[in-house]
Amino acid sequence: MGGRMRLKTKLNQVALQLVLLVIGLFVVLPIWGILRLALDGSLHSRATSFRLFPQTWSLTGLLKVLESPYQSVVFSRLLINSLLVSISAALLAIIFGMMLAYAMARFRFPGKKLGMTVVLLTAILPPIAFVIPLYVLMSALHLRTTLLALVLVYAVFGLPFCIWNLRAGFLAVSKEVEEAAYLDGAGPWATFIRIVLPLASPSIFVAGMISFLLAYSEFAIGWLFVEKASNVTLSMAVYAMVQSGNAQPWNMLGSFIILISIPAVVIFLLFQALIVKRMMFGYLD
Amino acid sequence: MRYRKLAVQIVLMLLVVGLSGFLRWKAVNTLGIDYDEDDYLRAAQQFSTLIKTRDFAGFLETNYRPEHPQLSKILLGLSLLPEKDYPLVQDSPTTAGPNVFLPRPLVKNARMLNAAFGVASTAAISVLNPIGGLLQAVHSFNVKYTSEVMLESVPAFTSFMVVLFYLLWRKEKVSRRRQTTWLILSAVFLGLTAASKYMYAIVGAAVFLDWLLLPRQEKPARGAKWLPALWVLSALLVFFITFPYLWKDPIPRLLDSVFYHVRYSTGAAEVQSANYPVWQPINWLFFSPKIWESDAFIFALDPLITLLALFGLVRLWKKYRVFVLWLMIGIVFLLFWPTKWPQYTILLTAPICLAAAEGLDLLVGTPLRGLFTRWKHRSEETAKPAKYEFRKVLPWLIPGLIFFTLFTLVPLFYQFGVSLTDSNSNSLREAMQGGISRVLAGGISGNQPVSLQEFPYTSNLLHYLGFSNFIPLIQYLEQTGVFSYNLIWTLLSVLLQTTLGVSAALLLWQKRARFRSFWQALFILPWAIPEMIGALMWRNVFLPETGWLALGVAKYGSSFPFAFLADWQNTPEKTLVILLIAGLWYGFPFIMLAASAGLKFIPAEVMDAASIDGAGGWQRLRHVVLPLLAPLVLPAMILRAIFTFNQFYLFQAFYQFSGTLATLSYNFFNTTGYFIHGQFSISAAVNMITLVILLIFVLFFIQLEKDINGGTHAVEN
Repeated sequence: MGGRMRLKTKLNQVALQLVLLVIGLFVVLPIWGILRLALDGSLHSRATSFRLFPQTWSLTGLLKVLESPYQSVVFSRLLINSLLVSISAALLAIIFGMMLAYAMARFRFPGKKLGMTVVLLTAILPPIAFVIPLYVLMSALHLRTTLLALVLVYAVFGLPFCIWNLRAGFLAVSKEVEEAAYLDGAGPWATFIRIVLPLASPSIFVAGMISFLLAYSEFAIGWLFVEKASNVTLSMAVYAMVQSGNAQPWNMLGSFIILISIPAVVIFLLFQALIVKRMMFGYLD
Repeated sequence: MRYRKLAVQIVLMLLVVGLSGFLRWKAVNTLGIDYDEDDYLRAAQQFSTLIKTRDFAGFLETNYRPEHPQLSKILLGLSLLPEKDYPLVQDSPTTAGPNVFLPRPLVKNARMLNAAFGVASTAAISVLNPIGGLLQAVHSFNVKYTSEVMLESVPAFTSFMVVLFYLLWRKEKVSRRRQTTWLILSAVFLGLTAASKYMYAIVGAAVFLDWLLLPRQEKPARGAKWLPALWVLSALLVFFITFPYLWKDPIPRLLDSVFYHVRYSTGAAEVQSANYPVWQPINWLFFSPKIWESDAFIFALDPLITLLALFGLVRLWKKYRVFVLWLMIGIVFLLFWPTKWPQYTILLTAPICLAAAEGLDLLVGTPLRGLFTRWKHRSEETAKPAKYEFRKVLPWLIPGLIFFTLFTLVPLFYQFGVSLTDSNSNSLREAMQGGISRVLAGGISGNQPVSLQEFPYTSNLLHYLGFSNFIPLIQYLEQTGVFSYNLIWTLLSVLLQTTLGVSAALLLWQKRARFRSFWQALFILPWAIPEMIGALMWRNVFLPETGWLALGVAKYGSSFPFAFLADWQNTPEKTLVILLIAGLWYGFPFIMLAASAGLKFIPAEVMDAASIDGAGGWQRLRHVVLPLLAPLVLPAMILRAIFTFNQFYLFQAFYQFSGTLATLSYNFFNTTGYFIHGQFSISAAVNMITLVILLIFVLFFIQLEKDINGGTHAVEN
């Protein structure tokens, strides 16, 4: 390879890295905007002048969030509420979704095609489309302001997605394996639990994660239901802090935002390939 | 058999033309006097007088409202000949309101002439596609502006004839003489179009482009290379002949006439005060003038026709590409054209109605025909497919089905019920006690009369409104342009996301790209961050006064990067830009990941083979990489389109309470917001509209997939 050739490749590489850097800056810009706030100990209210970096680096914002994130409610209470609601909602969506998905993937029954269209349609509707009736229903059951209502509502949001995805997951499990288990004398439940579940576990895991994150990061609809401070979730508390504007230093707000996005980011980064595959509604199978 | 088909088509055409005539006749008689009608009536009167006094030399000097050519006005003048003379309508500035004292007999004659051309357009479209003709017949904007003393009706007709004759020319394979005739007629009509109203001459550009895009093997048979140029020249000649005002002093007068608009659009008070956003032409496509004058129109289907047209574009492209080109050139033109008057919609009605006819056929016609053939061949179907596995499936189905029905399906049906009432936060107590079903039962059985309530609803008793609840909502959506905004947002956003996503994937895929895994992990971040957190992050960048950008501009002035966006909240265009920036950030990683997954499947041999064949970088991309990516990127785009259409948190965080239907629904519902709140039934109605649109979306893709796989078409013949 001649010197000119090498120079050309080098220049290409520099140009390529520059373009990637521009995209990278675009990606990082809003994240850094919040991080800068979170790490600035000098803030007493909103940021009043333009700075690329914190004036005084400190973690006081984070500490304050851990101390009193929302009214008189302690952080652990919010965390427990969030986990309780998200995990229960995800479990409900997974359990019911799994059964319907298995039925749709494996058996012939009348109305299956229509059922699948309905599931697809409900999967692509915005969550707000289910809120009014659930609001009235939960009010009538005197459950509206409780965590149970949130669990049910978030489970409803996650269910259609779970059904659609798990169906694709179950379809990917070869039928021959199941039939072999039958021949060995395993009953339908045993086959499902011992053979199908383990094979489909990546899809189940991803569907569960997505449902979990859906519930974990939801706040707008939560605020339509919950009234008591002790029933607030982390995401709802963040929004409350945003709404209250300059009442507290914005390093607190920044820290709170960073703090609650950590779990989601970790999950997505760890399982990206799997999640993309499942998010494509089975198109990649 | 062939004659029977022809007879059916003729009967259909007659019905459509009859309907078109009736609707326009009704409009001619009931529409109030509109802006500009006085101007064009005055112009027509002048020509009428010139003809009556046989002062034909006067044609060389007369062109009232000189920004438009003469032909339409001369034709309007002809229509006034049978009437006695009235004093000339006075010359009033363009800012003047409608002149209601115009001589009615003249107005009626001029309107009838335009209506006749409107009906002629219907007939011409029906020749190509009777359903398209039907849609044009009922299109309320078309009814309005082809039934008023405007200049739209004549060029709308002639421009369609340009395309019709062009298509006939393309279809004619045998006779050279007939070919020549069709081509000459097409050129003549193009000249007439330009001489009626300049804007409509864009149809010439569409035909020209279509001509250039003709496959090579078809071109030689279609005559020499200079034929398109000759076509344009003959059109210009006809334009000149039918525009006598130009004969004396052609170039200066033409320039003066054409460039009038530059002055008008930057200076005129009415353009300033209208203050329409750049995309107002698209808002008009989702609007019906029945809102302005309810008596004059029977149908208000314009928004639906536009929606159907969106779904018919692909089919229309395959059948008659020239109309899609017409539509695209027209929309781009109107987006750049500084004035945004609603009458310009007529420029687009013909291609839109034809596309809508294809969309209707795709969504309704083809499935119905499929059902019909299956029903016809039902006896031929061999033994039933394998038996249902009832006993096996029930234990799986029952628990899930109970939950799904109880918490997902029943709510949707309940919501439909809510949308037929005036349910609001004040009547929640009654709704909780089963009031909705009680009121519905009363309403549907007719025991309880439909009671019209004032919007926004505040009654603490429930009432049955039926579908009349949708009327104020649809009017609200049309007037505020929420619906078209939602679509524009989705389209632009997905386009940007796809561009950046695929580009990023291609860049990272380069063999020698260094730090690949670092960049990839970084680029995925926005996708991993929950939507609501991302919205808050962008808020912190863009919010007025407290945002990064605003603080930067306050400190460094207008030299700060992107300073021009700092006052985004004052202009809808800039607001859209900042939302698109945030939307791009959210959406591109997903497309990038899908594209990367696709790139992994491209074997190195394929690329090597392509380079050996001498394909350059761009050619390899265009012919090898992109086609291989499409099967993965398209579904990802569809998913992104659905999410983007439903985008909520972003709009909520930026206080764009009516940015998308989902945001609008939330804020109508929200019992404590700043918005018109606690409107449960309106919120439910918004959701019903969303449901219908998404349902059409799903059906469209199912049908498109069938189309591509050649499913149902084989049985048609």
